[in-house]
Amino acid sequence: MDFKDLLKELKGNLLSLMGSKFDDLKDESKKDVQDFLKASKAKLERWTTLLAEGNITLDDYKWLVESQKDLVVLQGLYAAGVSKIKLGHLKNSILDTVINTAIGFVKDKEDGNNEANA
Amino acid sequence: MKTRFYAVYLGALTLLLVSSCGSLRAPVFDQYSYQKGTELKVDALNLMDKATMSYDSEKTAIDTFQAELDKMLEYQKNRENNTISYAMWKMITNPDKNFIGGFLKRWKEKGTLIGPFITEAKGQVSDALDLILQYEGKKDPVAENKLKAILGIQ
Repeated sequence: MDFKDLLKELKGNLLSLMGSKFDDLKDESKKDVQDFLKASKAKLERWTTLLAEGNITLDDYKWLVESQKDLVVLQGLYAAGVSKIKLGHLKNSILDTVINTAIGFVKDKEDGNNEANA
Repeated sequence: MKTRFYAVYLGALTLLLVSSCGSLRAPVFDQYSYQKGTELKVDALNLMDKATMSYDSEKTAIDTFQAELDKMLEYQKNRENNTISYAMWKMITNPDKNFIGGFLKRWKEKGTLIGPFITEAKGQVSDALDLILQYEGKKDPVAENKLKAILGIQ
């Protein structure tokens, strides 16, 4: 089994999970994806060597490769979740600004009324 | 009178924003999930080390651990706005996926497992649980708490 083909497949799966969003990801998230692929390459090389030397069976090897494919899905969930959190923070800060503006607006009106009454 | 009108109007506008804003239903950091997740990771890796011994001889420890995993899954299922963490925990515990659930299933089927495979499988389970823990750690309660404080609903 050629680990380069497997790596290509893993990369393909990860990118298709993210769809066209990969280009829109922030540098930090892109780095996460690249680090993951780098780690995948190292694992696949190690497992192939273990298999070639008879330290693990073909069945073990397949199980490990499948687990790396499952990890791709998990990484996709993680990336989606982190994007959602970041979006939440952005929306919250927008909402924060709206509320502060509203509070400032009401205070200005109150001050104006107090001055008029004085 | 006018000021009161503006206050009510802005209050209503804020409530509308709050109720329509999906971000407020964004996942929030949960100390229990983080702590229990860390414990489960340590327990899982320790249990996996024993897989060179027969499944039957470790059955009590496996059953105890499995019960803890089931409890965690149930807890995640019932947390609000927790779709992604729940999906991640479901994958990790699923016997048909190749993480801890799948490892325990394989151990049961084979009776015993060999050292090099256990070492590599531990790496996979560890990576998967690290992702869940890192995701939980990314959930920041600050923004939501600040908003709740402003609205006086804390």
